[in-house]
Amino acid sequence: MTADVHLVPEPEAATLTKTAPAKNTPAKNVLAKNASPAAVAARAEAGGGRYDGLRAGLAQLVRKPVFLLALLYVLFVVVSAFAPGLFTNQDPIETHPQLAVLAPSLDHPFGTDYYGRDLWSRVLHGSALTIQATLIALGIATVAGLALGVVAGFFGGVVDALLMRIVDVQLAIPGLLMALSIVTALGYGTVPVAIAVGVSIVPGFARTTRAEVLRVKTLPYVEAARAAGAGWGRVLARHVLPNSWGPVAVLAVLDTGVAIIAIASLSFLGFGAKPPAAEWGTLISDGRDYLITASWLSLLPGLFVALLVLSLNHISKTLQELER
Amino acid sequence: MAILRRFGPRARHRSAVTAFTIAGVVALAACGGGGEPASSGAAAAGAPKTGGTLKVSFFPDNPTFSCIDPFQVYWIEHRTIIRNFADSLTDQDPETGKIVPWLAQSWEISADGLTYTFKLRDGVTFSNGKKLDAQAVADNAQGWIDTVKATNGAAFGASYIQGLTGATVVDPLTVQLTLSQPNSSFLQATSTTNLAITDPANFARDPKTRCTGEGVVGSGQFVLDHYTPKVETVLTKRPTPYSWPSELVENSGDAYLDKVVFNYVGEDSVRTGNLVSGAIDISWPRNPFTVQDTTLIERSGHAVEKRPLPGVAYTHFANTSPGRPLADPEVRKALYKAIDLKSYAATIFGPEYPVVGGVFNSTTPYYEDQSAKLAYDPEGAKKILDAAGWTVGEGGFRFKDGKQLLLDYPITQFSAGPELVQAQLKVVGINLSLRPLTPAEQTTYLPQGNYDLTSTYFTRANPGALQFIINPEVANSKALATRSASPEAIADTQALFAQALRTTDEAQITKAYADLQEYLIDEGISFPLFERVQTAGVSSHVHGFAFTSESFLRLNDVWKDNS
Repeated sequence: MTADVHLVPEPEAATLTKTAPAKNTPAKNVLAKNASPAAVAARAEAGGGRYDGLRAGLAQLVRKPVFLLALLYVLFVVVSAFAPGLFTNQDPIETHPQLAVLAPSLDHPFGTDYYGRDLWSRVLHGSALTIQATLIALGIATVAGLALGVVAGFFGGVVDALLMRIVDVQLAIPGLLMALSIVTALGYGTVPVAIAVGVSIVPGFARTTRAEVLRVKTLPYVEAARAAGAGWGRVLARHVLPNSWGPVAVLAVLDTGVAIIAIASLSFLGFGAKPPAAEWGTLISDGRDYLITASWLSLLPGLFVALLVLSLNHISKTLQELER
Repeated sequence: MAILRRFGPRARHRSAVTAFTIAGVVALAACGGGGEPASSGAAAAGAPKTGGTLKVSFFPDNPTFSCIDPFQVYWIEHRTIIRNFADSLTDQDPETGKIVPWLAQSWEISADGLTYTFKLRDGVTFSNGKKLDAQAVADNAQGWIDTVKATNGAAFGASYIQGLTGATVVDPLTVQLTLSQPNSSFLQATSTTNLAITDPANFARDPKTRCTGEGVVGSGQFVLDHYTPKVETVLTKRPTPYSWPSELVENSGDAYLDKVVFNYVGEDSVRTGNLVSGAIDISWPRNPFTVQDTTLIERSGHAVEKRPLPGVAYTHFANTSPGRPLADPEVRKALYKAIDLKSYAATIFGPEYPVVGGVFNSTTPYYEDQSAKLAYDPEGAKKILDAAGWTVGEGGFRFKDGKQLLLDYPITQFSAGPELVQAQLKVVGINLSLRPLTPAEQTTYLPQGNYDLTSTYFTRANPGALQFIINPEVANSKALATRSASPEAIADTQALFAQALRTTDEAQITKAYADLQEYLIDEGISFPLFERVQTAGVSSHVHGFAFTSESFLRLNDVWKDNS
């Protein structure tokens, strides 16, 4: 479980100052360019030809088949999450005791579980729950992280010190442990798990946003806006926020894989949706008693999740390489 | 008829003696249906070898009550451990249910059923060298009574000594236990691990300290070395000679094994894997092995031993508080017809698995088969629900006055196959809502009544076991007991229990228990789900494996050929 590693912000991001704006991590700049028009616009002063660069980048991407495969797989999972019926006509809940624990076959691509339920259908229907939970978690992390980071970075001083010390404390607690204690307090279910994971990845987002805000707020156009008489609220909403959230959006994409793994871990531990609904982690966990005798019950859903996270990581890695 | 010969010549005791002999015969007849052979022959593997360490893996230790003190323990696995370091006054034959001599060579029960006179075996000592004589037994009896007082009746053994008022020493080898009211299950109680005789000095300590195993000294073949809650319990061979097993054991001398290590393993698959890989010698799960695990163990050349645990089967009990869906007797009637016990047993535990036939497991004395009343009949269930005004609505579930027929079903680590029950009930339109409990909720859901259907069981080779679930006066969970039925029905069952217990008339006992078993199904009080079979994966290197009458592990004859 590498969640806590990802939750620690890069040191550069945390120590960014107005004298070193260029030292932002290259990955973020690149991703910002591709992922967010606002961030691209923020760098408009860097010169023309930016659409050429984008086009060249896209052309390069098309020439990478693994990247395309990864992208297709992610798209497939997302589509299956919202319309599992497109890929299976089996009921994920109906039991067929006479068909229990069948090995994968044409009728049952992932085999059947110990109640004779079609595992492929359960994995696809599980996508919906897990993807929902991931979106909620990222939503919470983004909104809360942005708000905390902007307030801390923009106002500085005591507010900054106070908020950042709280974030420090949060960062000191391993993400999964924190998620565990939150979900124990909230109760079991998809939404509590999503909230727990979301809250536990907030610190990374807050740190990144703050660093970006610290950079942006010293830029000439912000000074110009203030000199022109704009109030701090207007400066914050119109100038600082739109120009700071690019890296956060990028972080959100990067953290999707982390969130998926964290959510699957929690549902593996039994905190997820109540049966008979199945999240990916629950499916893996349900099959673990049969690892020797019917290994596909755990391994195939596990492979499904692993491929998704690998694909997400590969996509972000490829985007990062584009820069070089 | 060995018991008859051992008894005193006084004719007036004959009737009681005969009664208990009949009890054995009745139990034998009852066992004919479902009982498996209780021991695997040691003969096939040649002469027993001595030495070696036996490693046994158990289900996780009790999360709420870590205890190894015989009188206070209810955890089945710990009763297995206790059986091997502490002896009881009597023993019970697993095949016939008959009570046979152990520490007591013979006994007499007075005609009024209030006085039990035990003649003890001579020369028995505790593992610390102290004598196990009449005084020690009398002190134990006093210790039990004191423990019940000290724990406000919470000590589990309280249920075994109902009515016991004290003990008197007649001579160094004769002790008399007196009861205030007859208790027909008391003689069986003296054969259990809960009334095992320990060094009376033990009772000087408070119940909590005793739970840690400190100072718990028995007269068994093994000695309790240490108990580390949730990690392991270790028994070592008794250092001094042992020569007083019951007649149910082949090895009349010292233990063959030097040491027995019991550890607690959470994952079923790990326990099975340990056995198959040779890391342990016996894998001892709580719920029976799955079909796949049984196949795996047998394919690896090891054996799966099994025997139904006597006592209450894995049974659902309803929350019949007013306003709850199961307060409606018609819904409870439909519930019996809606659950397909046969397909449940076959799916979860395999096609060979016995189908539960009543509130008791088939190895329980006085067991009466009720399968006809538990037959699967979904059409019948639908008819009953239709007639009771529950009509099919959205999602195929039934509604009455706009309220869905939804049963709240908490699930814990003891649950087995809840999703299958859910699917079966869905067929007739009942929505069984499964709710995994947080550790905090596991201790509060019963007292708070946050359930419609919950499951429990209880192991004891006597139908009196059921009292401790559904008789609010002595129940483990009074909340569950009072909600399990209407006050009138509870009074009726209490009366039936009284008829069975407060007598020495065998015919009356048999009739009262038969009536009781029928009543519990007719009134919709208990909903058996599966027969609890104690399965054990036993390595091919282990010989002399045996179950006790309560389906615990008996190590007297066990030896290893690779030690």
